[in-house]
Amino acid sequence: MSTIMENIDKIFNMSLIYATFRSATPIIFAALCAAITQQANIINIGTEGIMLVGAFTAVSVSYFTGSWILGVIAAMLAGAMIAMIMAVGHIRYNSEICAIGMGINMLAIAITKFLLKAVFDTNGGFSSPEIDPIPRVHLVFLNNVPIIKDLLNDWSITEWFAIVLIVILQFFFYKTVWGLRLRAVGQFPEAAKTAGIKVNAVKYQAMLISGLIGGLAGAHLSLGYSTQFIENMTNNRGFMGVAAMYFGGANPVLTAVGCLLFGFSDSVGARLQAYGIPSQFVLMMPYLVTVTVLSISMIAKLSANTKRQSALNVN
Amino acid sequence: MNEYVVEMKGIVKTFGEVQAVKQGEFTLRKGEIHSLIGENGAGKSTMMKLLYGMYPTNRGEILIKGQVMENLTPKLAIEHGVGMVHQEFMLVNELTVLENIILGFEPRKGLKIDFEKARKEVTHYIEQYDMEVQLDKKVSQISVGEAQRVEIIKTLMRGADIIILDEPTAVLTPQEARRLFEILDNLKKDQKSLVFISHKLNEVMEISDRISVMRQGIHMGTVNKEETSPLDLTKRMIGREVFLNIDKAYGKAGKTILEVRDVWVSSQKETSKIRGMSLAVKEGEIVGIAGIDGNGQSELAEAITGLRKVEKGTVLLNGQDITNLKPRAVREAGLAHIPEDRNTRGLNRAMTIEENLVAVRLDQPPFTNKHLLNKASHDTYAAEMISQFDIRPTDYRLPTSSLSGGNAQKVVVAREVSMNKKLLIASQPTRGVDVGAIELIRNTLEQAKKQGAGILLISAELEEIISLSDRIVVVHEGKITGEMPASEANENNLGLLMMGGHDKTGEISEKGKAGEHTV
Amino acid sequence: MSQSMKGLRKIVITMLVALGIGALFIMAIGENPLDAYIALFKGAFNGKLRLGTTLAGFTPLLLTSAAFAVAAQAGAFNVGVEGEVFLGGITAAYIGINWTFLPKPLLYLACFLGAMVIAAAWAFIPAALKAFYGVSEVCTTILMNTVAVYITSYLVSGPMSAGTANPQTLPVNVTLFQFMKPSSANLGILIAIGVVLLVIFMLHKTNWGYKIRTVGTNPAHADYVGISSRKVFIGSMMLSGMLGGIAGCIEVLGVHGYFLNNFATGLGSNGMLAALIVKSNMIFTPFMAFFLAVLKAGAMGMQQTTGVPKALVDTITAVFIIIATMETAFQFNSRRKKKKEEQA
Repeated sequence: MSTIMENIDKIFNMSLIYATFRSATPIIFAALCAAITQQANIINIGTEGIMLVGAFTAVSVSYFTGSWILGVIAAMLAGAMIAMIMAVGHIRYNSEICAIGMGINMLAIAITKFLLKAVFDTNGGFSSPEIDPIPRVHLVFLNNVPIIKDLLNDWSITEWFAIVLIVILQFFFYKTVWGLRLRAVGQFPEAAKTAGIKVNAVKYQAMLISGLIGGLAGAHLSLGYSTQFIENMTNNRGFMGVAAMYFGGANPVLTAVGCLLFGFSDSVGARLQAYGIPSQFVLMMPYLVTVTVLSISMIAKLSANTKRQSALNVN
Repeated sequence: MNEYVVEMKGIVKTFGEVQAVKQGEFTLRKGEIHSLIGENGAGKSTMMKLLYGMYPTNRGEILIKGQVMENLTPKLAIEHGVGMVHQEFMLVNELTVLENIILGFEPRKGLKIDFEKARKEVTHYIEQYDMEVQLDKKVSQISVGEAQRVEIIKTLMRGADIIILDEPTAVLTPQEARRLFEILDNLKKDQKSLVFISHKLNEVMEISDRISVMRQGIHMGTVNKEETSPLDLTKRMIGREVFLNIDKAYGKAGKTILEVRDVWVSSQKETSKIRGMSLAVKEGEIVGIAGIDGNGQSELAEAITGLRKVEKGTVLLNGQDITNLKPRAVREAGLAHIPEDRNTRGLNRAMTIEENLVAVRLDQPPFTNKHLLNKASHDTYAAEMISQFDIRPTDYRLPTSSLSGGNAQKVVVAREVSMNKKLLIASQPTRGVDVGAIELIRNTLEQAKKQGAGILLISAELEEIISLSDRIVVVHEGKITGEMPASEANENNLGLLMMGGHDKTGEISEKGKAGEHTV
Repeated sequence: MSQSMKGLRKIVITMLVALGIGALFIMAIGENPLDAYIALFKGAFNGKLRLGTTLAGFTPLLLTSAAFAVAAQAGAFNVGVEGEVFLGGITAAYIGINWTFLPKPLLYLACFLGAMVIAAAWAFIPAALKAFYGVSEVCTTILMNTVAVYITSYLVSGPMSAGTANPQTLPVNVTLFQFMKPSSANLGILIAIGVVLLVIFMLHKTNWGYKIRTVGTNPAHADYVGISSRKVFIGSMMLSGMLGGIAGCIEVLGVHGYFLNNFATGLGSNGMLAALIVKSNMIFTPFMAFFLAVLKAGAMGMQQTTGVPKALVDTITAVFIIIATMETAFQFNSRRKKKKEEQA
């Protein structure tokens, strides 16, 4: 323990913050992907699969066209397509959302592996200098600013966009017409129906946008965070996104906080490993916290309900 | 252009096998308050939901402001000026009052919601009709009365001049109900036309211009308020059924088997919260609880049987304290229960007749021996019950979902009564049941009484209460308003007590004694 | 046509559609679908190694699919089977390595019992949260799966590590006899079949089973007749956990002989999917589990004898699962129309 205290500045320093944010970004995209559908009361368990498909599509298209922009767009469209399969299955054909979501995840793993062989004739992963990565933004004026220069410089475009997306969605959910209807559909579809809203149309729209974001998440992973495609490279980050979404109650800002929590534990975990604390303990913390948060909020709801129904409550 | 803003003619509406409306008629004049009354299941709610376009009709015609409406939907109804305040509020708990009001009709500034404009419009209505609401609170945080005002404002914001209110005072305290009536009066003065669905006759008599009665899906008549009285309306609502000849023995009652002492029980609705109820049932006696459905009877039955929490007070079964014991323990102490909802509680529709018959005593021999189900014993027992209670179809392996109302109820009655428990709670035992089954069930109850059981009978059918009970207790809004032997009871004195009046001894009901209410 | 027959018909149609889509893929890479599917079948059954692999793959799936299905009978959605398999495995490993003071037969028993107890305790937490506070067990079990995997990962890389490069524990002192070498098929399959038969027997012939089925179909009625829906719900989740634990134990004792990091990834999820496809019908579930095991094992064979990669079979399996979850597809009846009528 004392070694940790002595070396605390080696563990908790600027580069940790930077590492936290970098590892949190893919999770942030995944979490936002899940958050949109959650507002409509649909658990997007297939986030992992959408991300993986997006990652593969981004690398392939970027490789063959030499353009990261086309790669990203293709990834988003691919993500949207996958999401629509889930949407049709769940909304039209009454699929259990967890079942079809996990089916999609399986499909993603299988089909990316298959295409990896079929298109690139390799196994395990694909990398090439001809893949056009997402460029990094180098802000020259920050070169001489202490602290911030380590923190904010050389972020890839998608990392900046993640922050923009959080703000956009926060605005979207709580200040726009569509956002209000989305939340109403998710919380009380009958009420939305009596207000004249087309409930299913809203759900389809939510899934579509979720797919776009999920595809973007994958593109960031394979063209921004790294420049390659590795089998199963999402590595559960899609699920982490879903967990972070639960932590934040599908509110974009709170969800992002949750993602930072997950990203933080990821980075700190690796560092604390050197001092004898197993990384797994730190890694499991955010999950335990989320379970606790969920439980506490339900307990609070229940007790408020009991109070309201009580005959002793002569207000 | 005729005088009616709404006309509904020859309406028929079926849900699966249930005919909710058999013959619906309704008219509404401009600027009037027209009350639509009837018991639970009479079809009044359904009629108005049809008017609001929530379901299509099977037959019949709907005219709004003289125009025939084809393929009504809520959106279309709203466009023609119809607004509805539902019994279960269509409000999203986690959204604010303002957000709920504008949902679906949001004023826009590009993609954004123009909250400023919304606020202005809403405040206008608040001031015009004197309705207090807090726009920025979440719906989960406001009172029920306020939530209802939000629902009303919703209808006004969408331009409604025909407003339907479905049992609006069911969830309100007396004070909140007063406030509502003032608002309704303001609306009427402004030439809005209002439909008031209710089963509370005193209120209906107070605010209506005209009153329409429905019973079992059929329109029973429309009268002007001046031409009728609460008792007249009660008669039309409840009706005289075939007075079945029960061989009633005014037997000798034995010792007290059930004692309910000053119980307080929670409920979702204000009017059915029980606040200090006491009663007793003796062996060999049927005590009937008379009252219009929704005044705490369901909660009382659930509290006694362990299905609902008793917050204060005690329940004693044969001297044993059974307050808040689990249902299993209560049954073991000597209770059988015919619940008012046979579909959710009484039966497991997905399982067979046989399985439902053995459900309560499953763990005991001979039905189970050392955890193994003794199928043969189930078969014998089921066959016996089916023949004894004339249950059809007679194949006990069929699922109960295929049974008619009467036969399904017979399964429940068979199961509960043949356990020969000392106390039997029978809640709406003949609701939704055909005449033949009614006779069998009532005779069964009478038999059980003769064999020494104490029975607490809860029924919204006055005639059933009078013909079966030895003693009658009347409840209104969670309190007992009067008690009398059945020999002295008739529709008049019972009806008066059911509406909260005084009984002969001049005791004032508890209502007036309660403290200040905030609304 | 009865409900079960309709369900069966739908599964068959779905299978054919999935195989059809797969055929298109196969043709796209220039191979012959017929050859490929024959190779798939042979790959699962032809020869000791292949048949054994199929059986070895079937064993855990049989248990995990039954685990999910039995919880579903009580109305519980236990996604946590995945985590329970891991925890069961590590517990069995611990006992199998360390409790050598027990004579061999008891040691076997202890491994299984230990796995069952720990896994059941793990399932208790989300069950209680749902029964008492209404917290969705879907959410909590998904989250707790990750925690379970981390716990075992820590144990196998740390205190229980055998010091090898690949995180694994020391070998256990009791193993299940592998009867079809060189495959991993072991006696665990008999245990698995026995356990599942026992569960089916329990559900239909004992009073507990009756209570589980009652709570699953109508909890309000259950409470009314005196069956504690809470207790039954929690109990069935724990039973579900136990089955997952047994699966983990068999994998450790029978397949590997030690606990290997990430040895059981997907076993719980695949079992869950098998059950979901047949709506957790306890009779159909084992057959669906067998079918998925066949697909998985046959894929290797198919890859070896034709140019069709294993990933393609996985793709077909996934497509099958996706279509199979669509409840109202391929129904061919007027029920949907009636529903639409009532909802206007």
